[in-house]
Amino acid sequence: MDVLQYAIRKLIGGIPLILGVSFVSFLLMVYFGPDQTFELLGKNPTVEEIAEVRRQLGYDRPFLMRYGEYLQEIVTLDFGLSNSTGEPVSAMLARTIPISLALVTPGFILGNLLGVLLALIAAYHRGGWIDKTIMGFSVVGMSVSFLIVIIAFQILLSSSFGLNLFPVRGWNVHSLQDYVMYVTVPTLASVFVALGYNTRFYRAVLVEEMTRDHVRTARAFGIQPGKLLYKHILKNSAIPIITRIMFSIPLVVVSGSLLIESYFGIPGVGKITFDAITTGDQPVLKAVVGLTAVLFVITLLATDILYRAVDPRVSLK
Amino acid sequence: MSAVTEHIGPGPAGIDSAGATDERRESIWGKALYKFSRDRSGMLGLGVVLVYFVIALGVWFGIWGMEWSDVEGPKWGSMSREHWFGSNIIGQDIFQRSIYSTKTAFEIGLVVAVLSTIIGALLGALAGFFSGTWIDSIILWLKGVLDSIPFYLFVAAVAFALQGNPWAMHVAMVSTFWTTTGRLVRGEVIKLRNFEFVEAARAIGVPQLTIIFRHIIPNTFHILLVQATIVFVAAIKSEVILSFLGLGVQDGVSWGLMISESTLEVLAGFFNNFIAASAFLFVLVMAFNMFSDSLQDALDPKKVAES
Repeated sequence: MDVLQYAIRKLIGGIPLILGVSFVSFLLMVYFGPDQTFELLGKNPTVEEIAEVRRQLGYDRPFLMRYGEYLQEIVTLDFGLSNSTGEPVSAMLARTIPISLALVTPGFILGNLLGVLLALIAAYHRGGWIDKTIMGFSVVGMSVSFLIVIIAFQILLSSSFGLNLFPVRGWNVHSLQDYVMYVTVPTLASVFVALGYNTRFYRAVLVEEMTRDHVRTARAFGIQPGKLLYKHILKNSAIPIITRIMFSIPLVVVSGSLLIESYFGIPGVGKITFDAITTGDQPVLKAVVGLTAVLFVITLLATDILYRAVDPRVSLK
Repeated sequence: MSAVTEHIGPGPAGIDSAGATDERRESIWGKALYKFSRDRSGMLGLGVVLVYFVIALGVWFGIWGMEWSDVEGPKWGSMSREHWFGSNIIGQDIFQRSIYSTKTAFEIGLVVAVLSTIIGALLGALAGFFSGTWIDSIILWLKGVLDSIPFYLFVAAVAFALQGNPWAMHVAMVSTFWTTTGRLVRGEVIKLRNFEFVEAARAIGVPQLTIIFRHIIPNTFHILLVQATIVFVAAIKSEVILSFLGLGVQDGVSWGLMISESTLEVLAGFFNNFIAASAFLFVLVMAFNMFSDSLQDALDPKKVAES
């Protein structure tokens, strides 16, 4: 019951954030966004036709009223039809979100898992050549642009100038085999980039834990390295690690996949959102931005509950 | 915004005592300078950054890199004496373009780093000094909101709201990149405001704003300097991706534009654009990262105590 009460209180506390995010994005993307009036009209429209289209698009109503309607749409989760394709927005999201998830999940998991693993190795050998090599690679990973990594992997793995193993671009997935073919190159590229930042961050966290007295005591008792790393160091540094992983989820789902999706021409949620911004497809934009804000608040809540799970001293107040 | 999520250890406040004593190495800056000058990778990084800076200044004053838009070479020309790195699809010299792009990169990096550091320092100091009041809540709320909007979508939205203004990218970066600086400054100021020198200033009737600007913000300069270098790197790295998405540099040339130009060329087997721009960008970012790391080591009082 405690957890449920806490969750409800936390969700209510997240309302200002949702209002803020939806307001800023509404102002930028919808109010000041592209005007679709003349794209929907034929040649030489009359004044009445222009007024009619503007009324359909809702451009003639005052700002606050339009924002209020938007909030209502978020609450009811009914965003209407896309202006560009006429498809219901909910159907578009249902089609594209699974693709984005399938695309980013392997890279996200591997990037964090390998990051923690490398960080453990580096932290354990702190100051030695293993540490220096790993951290050297991590600075290199941080210094290469994501776009460069994608292009380099594409040349190496899927062009006739390299191994030519995988399709160049696209997303034509019907079986597990197809999935592996299309997901490998994007995954390798995102793991490469994520490892640079993740390893560095996790190493700093782990090294801090490693200099604590209880670790020295455990070492003095002759504990095995594996047990020391897992039980005494990794478990005690769980909070910052969880924080980093959890907080990157909303951004990875929406924004992290945008570059990969537009580079490889994959029809995920990042791509349709980007297209919606450039064409002024307001129903799609409103839906994605609103849901991102809600996702953020849910993530905040889930993170707090996870803290409680890994550290009983944390109280949910 | 994940590009600027560097971890900086929350060390105890480094109170600048320069002027109070003539022992220079007593102050945090004297110690840091001494420590930094003995850090080989940091000095190497600084050296490389300075070389790039000279290149950028040369372009600025019109000494070199001026023929970047001249169309005179062959299509996809290979390396030759006239065109050191070859020429691109319409015959522009790739070497000249890479050199000119150095200026573009420094313009973006400096503008974004300076402005977002100023905003981060001001808002962070205000939030920290008045922590627990409504001023703090509003600034924290603003930070939370800006952090929750996906970065590339935010840039795209700003670009369209400003209707293709060439500064849209800078505006978007500044308005999102200040948040990390702001958070770190806020934490530091919360510690600083309980120190005796702030209490003393208050006791003799110094106005609050004067306390913030004269006594508190100068004591966060070590955070601001490190953050500015991190934001600089984040800005020039973001430029590449934004230019690829068509939201970046609008006129002129940049490494990002060159790389996005190359995305179609590499599959046809022409690599010069890609390699030249990537190498220029990588060396600068790598050097800046090394410089920034050493600066962080030198300025973090906790690390000074450890070694």
